Parts: sequence; structure tokens; C-alpha cells
Amino acid sequence: MSDRLLGAVCVVASAAMAWAAQDYAAAISYEPVGPRAFPMLLSVGLGLSGLWLVLHPTAGAESFRGVPWKATALCACAVLVYALLFQWLGFALATALMALPVGMAFGGSWKQALAGGAALGLVLFLLFDKVLDVVLPTGPLSAVLGGS
Amino acid sequence: MDTLQHLILGFGVALSPTNLLIAAMGCFIGTIVGLLPGLGPINGVAILMPLAFAMKLPPEASLILLAAVYIGCEYGGRISSILLNVPGDAGAIMTALDGYPMARKGLGGVALSISAWSSFVGSLVATIGIVLMAPLLASWALSFGPAEYFALMCFAFACIAGLMGDAPVKAGLAAIIGLSMSCVGLDSNSGVYRFTGGDIHLSDGIQFVVVVIGVFSISELLLMLQQHHSNAGMVTQTGRMLFNWLELKSTWWGTLRSSVVGFAVGVLPGAGATIASAMTYSMEKSLTDKEGTFGQGDIRGVAAPEAANNSAATGSFVPMLTLGVPGSGTTAVMVGALSLYNITPGPALFTQQPDLVWGLIASLFVANVILLVLNIPLVGVFTKVLSVPNWLLVPGIVAVSSVGVYAVHATTFDLVLMTGLGFAAYLLRKQGVPMAPLILGFVLGDMMEQNLRRALSISNGDASILVGSPITIGLWVAAALMLVVPIGMRLLAGRRRAEVTAV
Repeated sequence: MSDRLLGAVCVVASAAMAWAAQDYAAAISYEPVGPRAFPMLLSVGLGLSGLWLVLHPTAGAESFRGVPWKATALCACAVLVYALLFQWLGFALATALMALPVGMAFGGSWKQALAGGAALGLVLFLLFDKVLDVVLPTGPLSAVLGGS
Repeated sequence: MDTLQHLILGFGVALSPTNLLIAAMGCFIGTIVGLLPGLGPINGVAILMPLAFAMKLPPEASLILLAAVYIGCEYGGRISSILLNVPGDAGAIMTALDGYPMARKGLGGVALSISAWSSFVGSLVATIGIVLMAPLLASWALSFGPAEYFALMCFAFACIAGLMGDAPVKAGLAAIIGLSMSCVGLDSNSGVYRFTGGDIHLSDGIQFVVVVIGVFSISELLLMLQQHHSNAGMVTQTGRMLFNWLELKSTWWGTLRSSVVGFAVGVLPGAGATIASAMTYSMEKSLTDKEGTFGQGDIRGVAAPEAANNSAATGSFVPMLTLGVPGSGTTAVMVGALSLYNITPGPALFTQQPDLVWGLIASLFVANVILLVLNIPLVGVFTKVLSVPNWLLVPGIVAVSSVGVYAVHATTFDLVLMTGLGFAAYLLRKQGVPMAPLILGFVLGDMMEQNLRRALSISNGDASILVGSPITIGLWVAAALMLVVPIGMRLLAGRRRAEVTAV
């Protein structure tokens, strides 16, 4: 993705913003500036800076050179799956599951990542839920972890 | 002496056993976050902010915690700079220049202790600066109306765009993205839902915690994948642990000078620790380096930037506390933390909640003493942290961050939004779009719009009120200068370079 592409995305986003904001109006207006003005102002700003980047790009695709795409994609997916399963699987299980691919992407062996993740899940659960009083989901392990 | 009374009140708050314990914890955590390469103050403050809220800490306690973490990070960054030659955070880049050569010469212990000392002096000078300056600035700012506030916020954005980014357009873009994100949700003046897409989760706006964690935690670890650090170059033989009298004397004036300069830079919105340490390093080099030993392990080159980065970090509390307009990403996160408690920082806070403001200021003194005590004898404990492998550390960060986000509303929606924002922030950061203006925009967005609308309501829609007072005119001129001068200087420098290469 180069500056030019980023700029183009901004221009499209600014158009979408302006389109969405065009009919924001107060039912009964008692002030000269309603809910539409500020978003419109921002959309103009967004469009102009996008245009600037399209016309005067300073960086090409080289800013993405050297990115370990496989590891990055793996981590990103793992975090997304973690977010989706957090509530359903419970904190401890979900954390162990997330730590396996993320740990391996950061150079751990699968054994290290698995053991580390299980330990993290358990220790952090006990720390937050039991000691610091931050209620966390327990999921299927609720019988073991004494969930609410 | 009104100030003195307030300060005594503040110490009463800061020295209560709970707050003392919280400050000590914050210092410890902050030092660790600071020394870990890749994680800086903003990440530490961002990750801890929702946790402090979830643990139901009272506002002054959680502010003390965050402030201690912030200052602690500035102390911690130097440890990995000196021992590993890898700066632990951006403010400690300059410390590595002379710190690592010192460690290679077997003077690692001296470098660590003198930098802890100069960090302490820097913070102390800056905290005294806050005590002297903040009440004056706050009482002056009480007369600000909506038009002045609008101009002031534009000035803050101009500073951050002019001073921070090498690409001001990208900094501006980031600010606009942040401001736009703050528009999402119910418009309180008119009852109109904006940009929610009909989703009930967004009707209350995007949660601040979700943005901060996504931008500074999730995207950070994706960036960390690219920068593998090994402990191979770590210097373990640190030699003598404490600096001697001669070394103290040779660094004394440089430390003081750098502290004052650092504070001034820190008060200015947008600048901050990184710029302050770079500025003072070159200042000390030109002032005192007659023998050309800077860069080869000169102790003065370690003391000066460390004093400056700490005093700049402390100085950045001034605009946040007195004007309610944060000048750096980290203080912007703190303003967001206060908004979780429905507290709007600003000049009125000094009269309405003096225990909060002065408790924070007093706890800066307390935290610095704790940090000095922690950092000289316990430096060995902290260096052990550097050997925690990333395969354990990174999943831990993801887990703790998610706990923070989950704790606020307990919804899967927020967690998914956090990852989405994290991916978007990753792409933007790879493109060189800075994130501090984005977070500043997000924090200030609502205030900026409200002040603009209020100003125009007063004048019945006449936009000339925005330039209607000497203060607004002054702020607009200053904002324009902030934008034009750095860009102009860069253009000039670029042209000179082009001429040289052409010849």
C-alpha cells in the first residue's frame, strides 16, 4: 500500500462520510450550528489530505518491505479469533488457545507456547478475577474456576 | 501562600498508605514497561488505564497510578539503552549513544546510576515547574471562552503536526481520523445518531478504551513481529554500581540545563520527551564537548538526555492539567482515563477538585523518590525482565489488554472492534501516519465540536467570533507559525542538501 492508495482510500472515505452526514439535522433546532457541520468540515479535511497524498506521495510500497506477512497474518487472525471466543470459551481457555499461534509467531516452540499460554490463562485469571476483582468470563471451565 | 497550602493538601492525598502503595506499584510496572524494547509510556498507560477503572480505584488513585507508570517508563527506557544498545522507549534513544559505550568500557553501573540520578533531577525540576506555573496558567485560562478553547485546540493540533511528523499532512490526517471517530454516536445537543449504522453498540460512541488499546497495544505487537531483538549484545559486567563525586560534579550543570530545557519543551504541546532529549544532547555536545568524546561513552552525554526526557514527560502534565488540552499522546490517554470517571480536566479542576490535582502533583514528587530508590539498587532485578522471552510476553500483553477492554462493558463487540481498530492502526503506522495526533483528536473531538458550536451560538452564527479576541488571534498566529516554520526550515534544509548534491 503506497501513499497514493492511502490517499485514495481517504478520498473515498470522505465521500462516504459526507454522504452519511448530509441529512443529519436536529428535529427542533435552537442553535445556529447543528449536528451536520462538524462532520462535514472533517470530511472536507479528510478529502483534501487524501487528495494531497494522491498528488504528492512521499512513500511508495517500500514501507511494507520486510514485513513478515505470514507471521503477521497469523497473529492478526489469532487475536481476532481470541476476541470472538473470549466470552464464550472463557478467559483461561481462550488465552491458552491464542497464546499458541502468537507465541509461535514470536519464536517459541509449540510446547513452550502451549505451556506458556496455559500458565498465562490460569495465572492472569486468578490475578484479575480473584485478587483484583475484575470479573472475567469463565466459559466451560466455570465449575472448576468457580464462576459466577 | 495558597500554593503551599494546596501542596500540603496534595501530600496528604499522595502519602495515604493506599496511594503510596499504588504509586510504588506504578513505578515498578512503569520501569518494566519502559525498559522493554517496543513498549513505551503510551502503551503502558493505555493498557493499565482500563484495569485501574475496572479495579474501581478512585479517580485520584488511578491518576496517580498512570502518572507513576508514565514517569517510571522514562526511567526504565534507559536501562535497555545502556545495557543492550536498544532504546526501551523513544525518549531513551539518545541515552544509548553514550550509555552503551560506557557499559562496554565496564562502566555500566555508573551509567545506570548517573542516569537514574539525572532522571530524578529532571523530574524534580519539572515538578517544581508545574507547582510554580500550573496555578498561574489555570487562573488565566479560567477566562477562556469557547472561541478561545477552539483556537487553543487548533493550536495543539498545529504543534503536533509541525513538530512531530516528518510528514505534517499525515499528522493532520491522523488528527482528522481521530476527530471523525469522536463524532460517532449520539449528538447530545440535537439527539441525532451519527455514523452508528444503526448499531446499538455504537449509539454511545466508540469507547475510548477500545480505541486506545487497539491503537497502542494490538497494532504495537503486530509491529513488534518485525523487530526481533536478541539479548546477545547485552552487557552483563556492569562494574562499579555508583557514580563518584567527580562524575557527579562533571554532569551537574548539564543535568540542570537539560532539565530546564526539557521542561520548556515538554510544556509545549506536541513536542515531548523524544525531541527534548535529542535537543539537549546536541546542546550539551556543542557546549561542553571540547575533547570530542561524546558518542564514545561520555558520562555527560548520558546525564543530559535522561534529565531532559524525564523533565519533558513531567512538563507535559502542564497543558493537560491547566487547560484540559493534552499536549502528548500519553497525557491524552490520561484525559481519556479521567473521562471514564466523568471528570473533565481543565482550569476549573484546580478550584473544584484540588485534592485530585494537587494529589497528582504531590505524587509526582513521591513517585520520583520511589523511582530513584528502586532504580539504583534494584537495577539487577529489572534487567532480568529483559530475559523474559517474547513468546510469553506478547500473549500476556494481548490477554491483559483484552481484560481491560472487556472490563468496561463486557461485550464481544468491543473486543472485535479493538482488533479491527488495531489492524487499521497497524496499516496506518506502516504508512508513516503517527498515532499520537489520532488519539489527541479522538480525545478532543467532542470538546472541540462543542466549543465551536457554543462559540457560534453566542455570536448567532457569525464566524468572526473565532478571531474576536486578542487571545484567539494570538493562538491562531502561533498555530500558523508552528505549522509554517518547521516546514519552511525543512524545505530550506532540503534545498541546501539538494544544492550540495548538485555540486
